[in-house]
Amino acid sequence: MGKWNVYRRPFPRTRFQVIWHIEMQSNEGVLSDIKVLDLSQGVAGPFCAKFLAGLGAEVIKVEPAGGDPARRARPFFGDSDNLESSALFAYLNTSKKGVTLDLDVPGQARSLKELAQDSDILVESFAPGYLDSLGLGYDDLSETNPGLIHVSVTPFGQAGPYCGYKGSDIVAQAMGALMYTIGLPDREPLKVGGESALYATGISAFSAAMLALHIRDTQGFGQHVDISAMDVMTVAQIHSSINEQFGHTPVRRPTNLVRAKDGWVSPGLESGVQQGTWPKICDLMGVPELAEDDRFTTQEARRTNQQALLEVVGSWAATMPKEEIYHTLQSLRTITGYVATVEDLLVSKQYAEREFFRTLADPVYGDVVHPGPPFRMDDDGWQLFPAPRLGEHNEEILGGA
Amino acid sequence: MKKSWAGHRLAATPKKDLALHGLRVLDLSQVAAGPYATMFFGYMGAEVIKLESRSRMDINRGRARPGLNDPRVYPGGVQGERPYDRTAHHVHRNINKLSVTLDLAEPKGKELFLGLIKVCDVLVENYRSSVMDRLGLGYDAVSRANPQLIYLKISSQGATGPEANYGSLGSTLEQTAGLASVTGYEDGLPLMTNEVYPDPVVGILSFGALMAALRRRRQTGRGCLVDLSQREVTSMLLGESVLDFSVTGRIAATMGNKHRDIAPQGVYSCLGEDMWVAVSAGTDDEWLGLCRAMGRHELAGDPRFKDTGSRQANHDALDEIISSWTRGLDHYQAMHLLQAEGVPAGAVLKGSETIIDPHIEARGFWDVVDHPEAGIYKQTTTPWILSKSPRQPTVPAAGLGEHNYQVLGGLLGLSISEIDTLVEQGITGDVPDPSA
Repeated sequence: MGKWNVYRRPFPRTRFQVIWHIEMQSNEGVLSDIKVLDLSQGVAGPFCAKFLAGLGAEVIKVEPAGGDPARRARPFFGDSDNLESSALFAYLNTSKKGVTLDLDVPGQARSLKELAQDSDILVESFAPGYLDSLGLGYDDLSETNPGLIHVSVTPFGQAGPYCGYKGSDIVAQAMGALMYTIGLPDREPLKVGGESALYATGISAFSAAMLALHIRDTQGFGQHVDISAMDVMTVAQIHSSINEQFGHTPVRRPTNLVRAKDGWVSPGLESGVQQGTWPKICDLMGVPELAEDDRFTTQEARRTNQQALLEVVGSWAATMPKEEIYHTLQSLRTITGYVATVEDLLVSKQYAEREFFRTLADPVYGDVVHPGPPFRMDDDGWQLFPAPRLGEHNEEILGGA
Repeated sequence: MKKSWAGHRLAATPKKDLALHGLRVLDLSQVAAGPYATMFFGYMGAEVIKLESRSRMDINRGRARPGLNDPRVYPGGVQGERPYDRTAHHVHRNINKLSVTLDLAEPKGKELFLGLIKVCDVLVENYRSSVMDRLGLGYDAVSRANPQLIYLKISSQGATGPEANYGSLGSTLEQTAGLASVTGYEDGLPLMTNEVYPDPVVGILSFGALMAALRRRRQTGRGCLVDLSQREVTSMLLGESVLDFSVTGRIAATMGNKHRDIAPQGVYSCLGEDMWVAVSAGTDDEWLGLCRAMGRHELAGDPRFKDTGSRQANHDALDEIISSWTRGLDHYQAMHLLQAEGVPAGAVLKGSETIIDPHIEARGFWDVVDHPEAGIYKQTTTPWILSKSPRQPTVPAAGLGEHNYQVLGGLLGLSISEIDTLVEQGITGDVPDPSA
């Protein structure tokens, strides 16, 4: 099998590298003239405001005196009673300043109103109607600040029969028809891991806020932006609704993953592979006789005989590290994948060369590695500094109030 | 027969009062992430020109002459005379766009392409990373033609780095980005989504990235290259686990439908075949609401379930209790009973159920589209509603090359006979190369 240019050298796995610290000057970003008031809590709204902060906006996060519930969410760097220990909160609230205000205390609501007068974008995730009941809804705030872009991020949106219903990541994935087709055929539907639906909801809120800002820049008015996690998930199901209407019902399917020595790979031989590639792969796997085997000679045949194919590839893959399989088969222009864990991500040469991970120093927990910018515009920076401690900027921002 | 572009259906011509009226997008993108980004541009009023070649159509269109066993989905299973105008993925994702074909491998095709670049604001593509440079149409070439141009390069791994030219599918991105490592049942087997989740997420983000780039252009007077790696964006969906690993060394793993902080959480079997309701009761109040909804008031005082920690520890017993209640209920009925008691819950809907769900219907989410080839269907629209800037109604996905005369004539000033000649030379046209 020495004939092909085979990747043979696994990457050193001893430690992750690229300890990096970039703190962009706030006048460099595309949003450096924009002030954001982030009243949102949990995952989706804060993720939206994090992106705005990354692009250079000045973001003030307002929490109740007890803190955003995300401060009490796992995983914790250390003690779970410490409000500065949640990795979730630390990730979602980078590059923001933090103040505490209890909105149902009249004096503090007035302070909030003053902050909102001075803001370009407000992000909130309260139950629909709550801010209105305090006199802090879009209609109240836009009366004196007509340019305000008010972004509401909720499970079911501001209107519709379920708008008072409560949600969560799994509820959004269920209602948006995303999870019905995920999982194995003989098991229950499965959600995408982590907080994926809420992250996607935050990304939608970010894109919509940028759209509303474009409109304000070019047409001069602000408006109310309504983001519903159910809407977002229904956009994210890209097969089910259309295929079912066209007469094909998508179902949960068996996996096409193959076990490697240290994890899992998908060989990717069923689509996007050129005709001459299969014999090369047979040589590589040490089974040249299969190059002529009718079960595997075309992509269509390999799809039809997928289980047999996976067995053949599996007996070869079982002795090899997953990343080596990935690089070897990709060098033959297949569409191969390997299941990376978070540990694998931190040693990825690809991520290292692109400086995707950046490190912020925490006074208690030391170096904390953050996934970096979601996209890059020429040499524009990505503003990154640590999430605020609870009430850290009360004095600076609320001052004598 | 002479065709007149002037008489062609002005399919995607946007209305003046729409938010992005006056912006023009040249869209070389394929499959899902890019086409999703540009369809949102169309919804908000931009003019989107989808450019394909007759020999390499958007993969969404399928093959020029698909076999009977072709795995793609055609309406009612019927491939018809122009199967490439009917595939589900094309009909769904290529809405709100004009369709033009040009052979970019031919000098004349390149020349016309650069002509279009001069009159467009945004270029979007998601080929393998090196393809545009190999064609001589990379960022240097297009920005020379139009320094104001914003070029969004969506790629598997980004425009740089040792894996820049690796190929990917949505499902492999879920693997290489780490998402599959946290998606799966509790046995640890990683699973992918079947919905190629990174693609729509990247499509939605790409729209915001382009809004940022347009703002940057207003500030600097120049266009720029936007380099977007699908793998990187997907890794940002598990950021908290990256931070956690870097401090504690913990490696996040699959946990089925359970949640780190919410217990009970899961999907529970309901009346009917393969019907389920998702429940997540995170707070003590929500737990008490769940007990009330089930009519099991005695559980409220049960020490096995007194706080989140004990509910985590006794999750299996709770799952049994909840299932025995949901099993006799319709999945919507279970959802409404739970929500009435303040418990987050949602029916696990199929695609065919979302299109008739009363809530999302009331929000005006679906557009009813009458596609000339595929017939009447309901179309997903935008993941946002703006109070003062409505989206335009869906314009059905165009047939291959349907707007060749309109665009090459109207934007580049070619005469009908010049375009006819290009058709004879195979540089443009509205039928695919038979090998495609």
